[in-house]
Amino acid sequence: MQLARVIGTVVATVKAPGLEGVKLLVIQPLDRHLAPVGSQLVAADAVHMAGPGELVYFVAAREAAEAMPDRFVPVDHAIVGIVDAVRSLAGDDPAEGAS
Amino acid sequence: MKLARVVGTVVSTINSPDLDGRTLLLCDLLDPSGTPAGGYLIAVDSVGAGAGETVLILDEGNSARQVLAAPGAPIRTVVVGIVDTVTGKEPDIRPAAAGAAAATRRSPKAPRRRGGGTRSDADHA
Repeated sequence: MQLARVIGTVVATVKAPGLEGVKLLVIQPLDRHLAPVGSQLVAADAVHMAGPGELVYFVAAREAAEAMPDRFVPVDHAIVGIVDAVRSLAGDDPAEGAS
Repeated sequence: MKLARVVGTVVSTINSPDLDGRTLLLCDLLDPSGTPAGGYLIAVDSVGAGAGETVLILDEGNSARQVLAAPGAPIRTVVVGIVDTVTGKEPDIRPAAAGAAAATRRSPKAPRRRGGGTRSDADHA
């Protein structure tokens, strides 16, 4: 799992079967200091509560589909949690709390 | 599997139900000599790993769900071990205390001990 910031939404009317009702969000993966890293991607929102600007964590690959109500959907990135805080365990600086 | 160092936790109240009650650890990936290899992972703890510890991370879904006995959970990355030492051509990793690890992190530019000293220490340990 990795941290990401939600930066937008995707609306699609024509979708593969199984994707009806699935909220799609554009996310920007972040490093642990919350700096953008890598390219933006589209993830399904498995918590149904994430919105633009929020700090979330997502899971990739086959496990993303496991997060959806129907486990056999064409989803390869899914948001599985909204971050309240990222805490350092030993005085290192990982990243201060969420937005 | 991957070597990593625990550097933090991720706190989340709104999450997938399968993640309820699980500890999420922020782990910096390491190369075998113990230096950060770039990149990090958020992993579910299964062994009670703590601050600054060097850990073994499993990054494959089926095995992860088996370790956690959580079939159908959207989990792929799990901390499955706490590393005592890694031996090989590179200087040995000696994770030991969190304090020592923290000290190492505070001076990332400091040269690591290399070669004979470290090795003979390990031999006599």
